[in-house]
Amino acid sequence: MLERTIKILTAHSSPHKTCVMGNEGIARAALEAGVNGVFSYPGTPSTEISEIFNFINGFQNSHSNKLKYPELTSDPVYFEYSINEKIALEKAIAFSIGNRSAMCVMKNVGMNVASDPLMSVTYQTIGAPLVIVVCDDPGCHSSSNEQDSRYWGRMASVPVFNPATPADAFEMIKQAFELSGKIKLPVIVRTTTRVSHTRGIVSYGNIVHGNRQPNFERLPEHINIPARTAAAHARLLHKLEDKQVLSLLAANTRLVLKGSKAKLGIISSGVATSYVIEILHRYGVTEKIKLLDIGMIHPFPEKEVLRFLKDDMEQYLVLEELDPLMENEVRTLAQKSNIQKNIFGKGYSGLVSTGEFSMDLLTAVLEKFLHASFNKDKNIPLENSEKYFQNLPPRPPVLCAGCPHRATFYLLKLAIPREQSELILCGDIGCFGLGALPPLKMIDTINHMGMSISMAQGLYEAFHSAGENKKTVALVGDGTFFHSGLSSLVNAVYTRANILVVIFDNRTIGMTGHQSHPGASSLPKYHEIDIPPLLKGLGIEMVETINPFDLKESIAKLDKAMAHDGVSVIISKEPCIFVHDFREKGVRKMQIAVDPERCNSCANHEDVALSCSRCYAPKNNLSRAKAKLLAEISIPGNEQLCPANICNHGFFNSILEGDYKSAVEIVRDKMLFARTCGDICHRPCELFSNESSVVPIKKLKHLVSAVDDNYRDFSVPVKRTQNARKKNKKIAVIGAGPAGLSAAYDLAQVGYEVEIFEKENKAGGMVAHAIPGFRMDKTAFDYEAMQLEKMGVKFHFNISLGKEIWLESLTEEYDAVILAVGMNKSKTLEVIEKNIPPEKRTDALLFLKSFNREEETIKPGSSILVIGGGNSAIDAARSAKKMSVKNQVLVSCIETLDKMPAFAEEVRHAMEEGIEFLHDSVVESCSLDTSGKIQCSLHAFDEKTFLQQVSCDYIVTAIGQVAEALVIEKLSSDENLRVISKNSHTGYKNVFVAGDINAGNHMSVIGAIASGKKAAVAARQLLEEYPYAYEGEKALGRLNTNSPLRNTNQKEFTNEEGELGDPYFVRSEIERYNLFQSCQKCNHCIDNFGCPAMVKVNGKVQIDMARCNLCGLCIDVCPNNAIHWVDAEEKTGMTS
Amino acid sequence: MENRFKILITGVGGQGIVYLTNILVEAAMLSEIPVSVSEIHGLSQRGGVVTAGIGLGEHCTGFIGKADVDFLIGLEPLETQRCLPSLHKNSSVIFGDHHIQPYSVNAQMAEYPDVKSFAGYLAEQCREVVFIEQFPTGIDSVLHNIFLLGRASVMKAFPLTTEKLIEAIRSTVTGSYRDKTLDVFRQGVEFKLNKTPV
Repeated sequence: MLERTIKILTAHSSPHKTCVMGNEGIARAALEAGVNGVFSYPGTPSTEISEIFNFINGFQNSHSNKLKYPELTSDPVYFEYSINEKIALEKAIAFSIGNRSAMCVMKNVGMNVASDPLMSVTYQTIGAPLVIVVCDDPGCHSSSNEQDSRYWGRMASVPVFNPATPADAFEMIKQAFELSGKIKLPVIVRTTTRVSHTRGIVSYGNIVHGNRQPNFERLPEHINIPARTAAAHARLLHKLEDKQVLSLLAANTRLVLKGSKAKLGIISSGVATSYVIEILHRYGVTEKIKLLDIGMIHPFPEKEVLRFLKDDMEQYLVLEELDPLMENEVRTLAQKSNIQKNIFGKGYSGLVSTGEFSMDLLTAVLEKFLHASFNKDKNIPLENSEKYFQNLPPRPPVLCAGCPHRATFYLLKLAIPREQSELILCGDIGCFGLGALPPLKMIDTINHMGMSISMAQGLYEAFHSAGENKKTVALVGDGTFFHSGLSSLVNAVYTRANILVVIFDNRTIGMTGHQSHPGASSLPKYHEIDIPPLLKGLGIEMVETINPFDLKESIAKLDKAMAHDGVSVIISKEPCIFVHDFREKGVRKMQIAVDPERCNSCANHEDVALSCSRCYAPKNNLSRAKAKLLAEISIPGNEQLCPANICNHGFFNSILEGDYKSAVEIVRDKMLFARTCGDICHRPCELFSNESSVVPIKKLKHLVSAVDDNYRDFSVPVKRTQNARKKNKKIAVIGAGPAGLSAAYDLAQVGYEVEIFEKENKAGGMVAHAIPGFRMDKTAFDYEAMQLEKMGVKFHFNISLGKEIWLESLTEEYDAVILAVGMNKSKTLEVIEKNIPPEKRTDALLFLKSFNREEETIKPGSSILVIGGGNSAIDAARSAKKMSVKNQVLVSCIETLDKMPAFAEEVRHAMEEGIEFLHDSVVESCSLDTSGKIQCSLHAFDEKTFLQQVSCDYIVTAIGQVAEALVIEKLSSDENLRVISKNSHTGYKNVFVAGDINAGNHMSVIGAIASGKKAAVAARQLLEEYPYAYEGEKALGRLNTNSPLRNTNQKEFTNEEGELGDPYFVRSEIERYNLFQSCQKCNHCIDNFGCPAMVKVNGKVQIDMARCNLCGLCIDVCPNNAIHWVDAEEKTGMTS
Repeated sequence: MENRFKILITGVGGQGIVYLTNILVEAAMLSEIPVSVSEIHGLSQRGGVVTAGIGLGEHCTGFIGKADVDFLIGLEPLETQRCLPSLHKNSSVIFGDHHIQPYSVNAQMAEYPDVKSFAGYLAEQCREVVFIEQFPTGIDSVLHNIFLLGRASVMKAFPLTTEKLIEAIRSTVTGSYRDKTLDVFRQGVEFKLNKTPV
């Protein structure tokens, strides 16, 4: 840049040919014209002009340069980035009135802001020359509209130059300065992107050095009052008829092609001329055309154009980008002069008022105009290129890696969840407008510079005036805030708007290449303005400055600002990555790495094809990410604790997001019984955890499945079954208990035809018959079980193995048989059988069955002795107590309290209900006394010493069950008739065993479910060579080990009436937890953060260190804790 | 060189397209060939596409139409592929396999095209195609542009000589970077493809 500056500042006595960008040519020309000051607001495609003067200004004011380059620094050019275009032009006008020549530079839309001073100064006067450079952007490469700035010439009655090439621009700038000085009017030079950003050959000449002394002359023209304006208007129009104007019109209306055989004429302006010259030369048809280039568009060169129209051409074509400004002038002229010739323009062969011209468009236009087909033999297009060209991924611009704006947007995403609110986010112009695009999508409106704050207060008032107080948010960049946001903010305070303004303060004007603004400038010539005191001075009570990279603290501040009634302002202050401060903070010796074990991996199962309702939607992971930052208790969910292998992490996080339906689906991915498990699961997922805190999964399961709409809708598994590829294999399941039903559920969903045989008249097995109704919702269980019918499973009731069906024949009729008949025969105690009459004794199963049928088997006020320490014993004891509170119930069991096989929770309930326990006891003897009471003598189990004499009315034995001998015919079994099997396999090749009949211990519901699932996997291994073992094996194995009941001190999510609690309350309670686990379906960083240094390769995120700027935010963003700092050396070691 | 020749350089913001253009312009000036350039770099620093069209010869702009480019230098394969409509049967192409994945690919909304199959197609269709599948180790990725320029300069159709390009680098690049740049340029000039050009 230094060498370039020296080159630009060096004077040449004779023309020095160089190839430069149009904008550079403009800067040089201004210097040659003796410009004294340049005023600007940056904006593409004009920015390079300002940047050159910004650099020249720095160069010329440097002390060392003054010594080293005395000639180049002797007459320094003043430069400033004004806060907006209006101020820039006003100051340039004043500078000119002070007799110093000025240039004011802006982009197309900048002229709208600057139009106020432009429209009035023309009626008055200036002093030294004043040139306005305005750069249009046809095709909107980087602008919010493609307005045609040539209109300003007509509107304000000022001359407008319209160059076609860098060389034109260079010459016209010099002419503009001269003309402006002569007629005391500002002169506009209007370029387009293709002139400003094109390079061409320019011949540098001599730079004139300052002989212009500052001076202010008291003139009546400096005072603009109505009495003087009418005359002033006439004077203004007269200026445009000045001799010099006329001579420049003539000089810049050039016949650039003078085809001797021409019958066709073209009038063109700007870049259109370059296209026409190139195309006509290329195809060798220059002889057929006369081409008139219009270099000055206002005032219109009527004399020259009229002469051209009167020439002996037959037809004319007018070519100009954007609006038909020149075309209308030509038509008016022809009409006035009564010229009856065809004039073509917009509407001719695809010529429209929108977008840029192109080689292809103008080639087609000229072929039509010339009635010719150009010879394109040298440029034959490639064949079949469509295949390689179509559907290429687009490359929209994105915020840079490390950009603080991305951090702020991510923060807003966490703090203001969009899915749950109707909050309107009003955006503005600048880099941060990219936040409207995926993946950030945190902007609802973008208009023009500074509109965000007006939009927010206007929308607020639209609702407020109709009685709704709705906080609205404005997002504005720091540069834009000073450009035009500040005045709007004053209005918001003044009118008591309830808005939050977030200022994205990245310490620079980012989009246009990092210019200074009042809030951020290190240059001594500028005075930096601190935003917070400015805002507080306006009377804004809530002003918070945040560091967007500190997510946790920033979320708290954002919450506060959102809650504030009135104007609140958050200043998110961190430097742009191109600002020096950012570079300094980089931890240069460190790098960032992703642990592939934690990124997009699932610890739950190897078979990724297993159904998983973990939603791809970004919002699910957003709550995980927020929980990671804010939760008080972090619980890694890597341990497998559910024997059915339900994804507790997915389940929990769906609830955290408020998506209860997804939570239910996640349960149903693995089993039928969401509500049943919410009722009666003994929650090994909580009790077996090694963590000090647990999440109340069972209660949450109850909570989400209690929502009737969620619970009733089984469409997901039904659809899954319908969509499964049919295996064309039949499987018989014997026994419709939880084990058999679960096996059927899994097999049906992967495409097997399943038939269930059940000896009773309804499905459910022990759950239906033996578990008392007060522990669970029986109707719900029936509903869940019978969903299998919708999934195509056939039920055959009242069919018993050994009576109507035989194992032998089933193994032949079906491809596989799942044996899940349970254990229905109660064991008996000889001492009781012998001594007590049948009407005074029963077993637990029969007792519970009759209890569930609400039969009155026991007179109220009786005393009952229950013998046994398992779950059936406790169920029987509690049922006996439920029959009448007057009943006295005593449980005698051989185990001590801590060794009882019953679930400790149930025992606790029993104790609370007043049931007594006699541990470590056996019935030594019993008999009936004369009054008909049973007298039992209980001895200690170990030492056989006498313990207690018990008198009671009934005895219920609950000492376990065995299978019926008949059904296990030909299968090897133990003394309790349990089928001995390895991995569900029996002696038969295609018979698999599940449930109690296979268990080493009495099975819980969840154990039975898991056992059924495991048998289903065994069947799949046989029938389809399924390569995976049962996914829940580890937790299933753990069921056999007894663990003490943990005191988990859980919250109740239901109110006193037992109804579902307020969802917000639930949420606030569970937000204390973060149950996390790496997830196969996580795409959080890509979906919500989208840093361009994060690249997904083979399903895993990697950090591209060539693009990473080491902001380190991704470490906080990753909900899986997969990203971390590493030593640069360590990482190199890893990869080599 | 024919009396008009169009070069197109394409890539992603930050790959040094403007830098490469400066060298080419300087080399053309030194060779006394009329030169004109049109650059489009909307939001280049934000990872957007940057292209520079260079017209050499009288009445030859840097504006690029369909089947208009005689020589394409692609700094990024996807962007090279996007320029397909501007190529013709007599075009020459050099491009390197330096992927910069756009967001749509990262987000798995789109697939990055198969570069090898594209290179094979180009080789069938165009006059001369050099595809640098692997840059020699030790070359900083910011100098891939210079390496490609070096290799391009010894391709049949390239209109500017190696000598003028070296001269242009000498006058364009300043400071300690100059020697490193010249070294990478020479490595490009001398680079032999493992197999015959695709």
